[in-house]
Amino acid sequence: MKLAVRRLRLSFISVIILIAILALSPIINVPKYLILYLFLFFIYLSMANMWNLLAGYSGLISLCPAAFIGLAGYTLTIATWLGYAWYWGILLGGIVAALFAILISYPVFRMKGIYFAIATLIVPQILRFIFSLWKPVGEKVYGGGAGYIIKGIADVSQSQLYWISLVIGVGSILLVRYILRSKLGLGLAAIRDNDASAASSGVDVLKLKVSSFAISAFLTGIAGATYYVYSGYIEPVSGFGIQWLIAIMLATVIGGIGTEAGPIIGTIIYVFLSFLLTRYSNISLLIQGVILVVIMSLAPKGIIGFIHDTRTYLSLLQFFTKRCEWCRAKIHKVS
Amino acid sequence: MSEDILLSVNHINVFHGSFQALWDISLAVKTGEIVAIIGANRAGKSTLLDTISGLAHPASGSVEFDGKDISSTEPFDIVDLGISQVPEGREIFPDMTVFENLKIGSYNHKARTKRAQNLQLVYQLFPTLEERKSQLAKTLSGGEQQMLAIGRGLMSDPKLLLLDEMSLGLAPIIINELYKVLRKIREMGITILFVEQNVRLSLKQADRAYVIETGRVVLSGKASELREEEKVKKAYFGT
Amino acid sequence: MGILLGGLYAVIALGLSLVFGVVKEMNIAHGDFVILGSYIAYSALTSFGIDPIISLVIGVPLLFVIGFAVQKYLLNRTYRVSADATLIMTFGISIILQNTFQLIWSPMSMGLSTPYSMESLIIGPIRVPLVYFLNFLVAVIVMVVISEFLKRSYLGCAIRAAAQNRKAANLMGINTYRIYAFTFAIAMALAAIAGVFLGLTFPFTPVSGTSFLIIAFGVVVLGGLGSIIGTFIGGIFFGLAQTLGGYFFGITAQMLVAYVMVLLALVVIPRGIFGR
Repeated sequence: MKLAVRRLRLSFISVIILIAILALSPIINVPKYLILYLFLFFIYLSMANMWNLLAGYSGLISLCPAAFIGLAGYTLTIATWLGYAWYWGILLGGIVAALFAILISYPVFRMKGIYFAIATLIVPQILRFIFSLWKPVGEKVYGGGAGYIIKGIADVSQSQLYWISLVIGVGSILLVRYILRSKLGLGLAAIRDNDASAASSGVDVLKLKVSSFAISAFLTGIAGATYYVYSGYIEPVSGFGIQWLIAIMLATVIGGIGTEAGPIIGTIIYVFLSFLLTRYSNISLLIQGVILVVIMSLAPKGIIGFIHDTRTYLSLLQFFTKRCEWCRAKIHKVS
Repeated sequence: MSEDILLSVNHINVFHGSFQALWDISLAVKTGEIVAIIGANRAGKSTLLDTISGLAHPASGSVEFDGKDISSTEPFDIVDLGISQVPEGREIFPDMTVFENLKIGSYNHKARTKRAQNLQLVYQLFPTLEERKSQLAKTLSGGEQQMLAIGRGLMSDPKLLLLDEMSLGLAPIIINELYKVLRKIREMGITILFVEQNVRLSLKQADRAYVIETGRVVLSGKASELREEEKVKKAYFGT
Repeated sequence: MGILLGGLYAVIALGLSLVFGVVKEMNIAHGDFVILGSYIAYSALTSFGIDPIISLVIGVPLLFVIGFAVQKYLLNRTYRVSADATLIMTFGISIILQNTFQLIWSPMSMGLSTPYSMESLIIGPIRVPLVYFLNFLVAVIVMVVISEFLKRSYLGCAIRAAAQNRKAANLMGINTYRIYAFTFAIAMALAAIAGVFLGLTFPFTPVSGTSFLIIAFGVVVLGGLGSIIGTFIGGIFFGLAQTLGGYFFGITAQMLVAYVMVLLALVVIPRGIFGR
């Protein structure tokens, strides 16, 4: 017992130290590109965690994170054009995204599985159309596109943005952790296995789905809005584009969908990958697609799932070869 | 090592995911026999049949049929070798006619050449099916669907016919009729292995039987001997 | 005129319906495969001067083979893991296709222009482009051919069996892995045909696939899974609705109208009118 407590305290302390180091990074002269990497890492991490919450733990493959990101980004833009501070814009962006999620929840959750997925595929497309035609603020933009520059961010420093992303990223990890161990998490797991039996066990299926959808939208929106403060410019193709979905999906799937550590590992790899691919921007998406296909063929459960499976397989093997000396020797060679 | 052993299951262990369904099961079926596998619900009987027909594969141990090891053979190839399973719940093709269901039964190439022949046979055994040959399978009654399932199984020209819980949900009169047909099928030279929950019925119809409880064989032997066996009497007949 | 357009939508949707109904997979990349058909015809036209409809002789077998390989080597693995895995896999394939198109054929909008693609017939007060008639004709032919194939041939029977009961089909000696590959291959051959006629009717870009996937899905939902007639009627309905929408809301809003309709269809009828 004492050993377990000591171990827990040790891992807890090491996590605190890690976070402290990360938090102090901008001050202790960590190189700029590393800060950028960490910034993007935290942004994508929160999005991946939220997507994992839906797709991995609730059985709801949502293809519309871009809707939340774009909406939050545009809310931020409108807010700054109307004179509000950018940080309020970010918060507002998250709230608008969550409200939108709740709005479309009722029609969208009537559908199961695949139908739900396609419906969520359509939503960002519609939004993209709408925002191409509708100019919420400012004078008419000449020519095509409805892009907006985000105002009032000239004096925002890299460090500030970095710290915000750190909070969001760590927050997403804690949020997922907390939800999974709460009643909500239990309900979601029940829903993932079987909607109908969950309902008959007294789980308010709709309420849970809407809650997780809204929470996911909120954090995804905030992360997205923060990204747009960094980028400074938004347009429909970028805000509602499919590259967000690809990024989030890859980040989650590489690590392992439906696991807690999966998105973390996956995002580490993904951001690193995207840095590598910036040189080859024209085939970047193609390569991402190929990686997605390869991962789904060879290790559909991601890195974490793969390790887990291999371990189960090995222990099963060990159980059967208990009686066979020769087999045991062979196993020892392998593992 | 008797020459006429058609099917032998040797010390198989079968898992459903991480749950072990069958523990060290062995059995043998000789050509021309009718063998029963008896046991309560969830005892593992269906898993055993599924492993023989290739829908499941043993983690260890082997299944041999007609001299060949079929432990890791796919179900559609096992049909080619001469095993046909009539699954639990009949599993007919609901939106196809009776005739189409039977036609599909002879999908594998060897059976296709004998299709007309086998079809006649099936119609002889089950005249009702011939009457209803253009009817959609889902409109048939439970008993008729079972007949269709058995007929379909016969269309693949099997040497060994596996039946999973044939009598489930059927009236006793129909069950009797079906077992009469099974005896006729045996006379045609087809070996039969069936799974049943109804102990009395099984021991009446089979030559030999195996009793399975929670994935293990607890009793086996000639049906006539098992009927006398104290344990069986107490457990299932209540005397 | 919308009715004739519906014929095209029906053909596009048929492949999707086939895969979804038989293999129970949702192929997000379906629209992109159709566009692949369009691009193949385009290359045949511009590089070798082969008429698009004639080029089907190349396009159909090519897509058949590609489809067979995709199902056999990629999708046969994922459907055994979970439906979600298949969704993600087909999404990945869609990305690959769209970006490959962009690389090989540039992001510009293309069309298949032949002497007859510009022709129109004058019926009463309206001009109807010739291709629309062709679309409808082809749709009817395709529907009939596929219907007969599924009903009469052994392979067609096996496909229907595998669709209705996977486990029983396996027990009948039907190699479901191979049957699924064949089904997907047939669906892709259909996509090739759809692609050619799509190219003759509309301009297309590397990302058009998504738009047509959504419409095809709407058609399948409306018409019901597993029903060829249903898919046909669904296609007509969509063609009609979109043309009317374009009339009232303007050409640019046509796609938007289509999307909204699909959403509505999904909300109202999760199972389709004619389906099971």
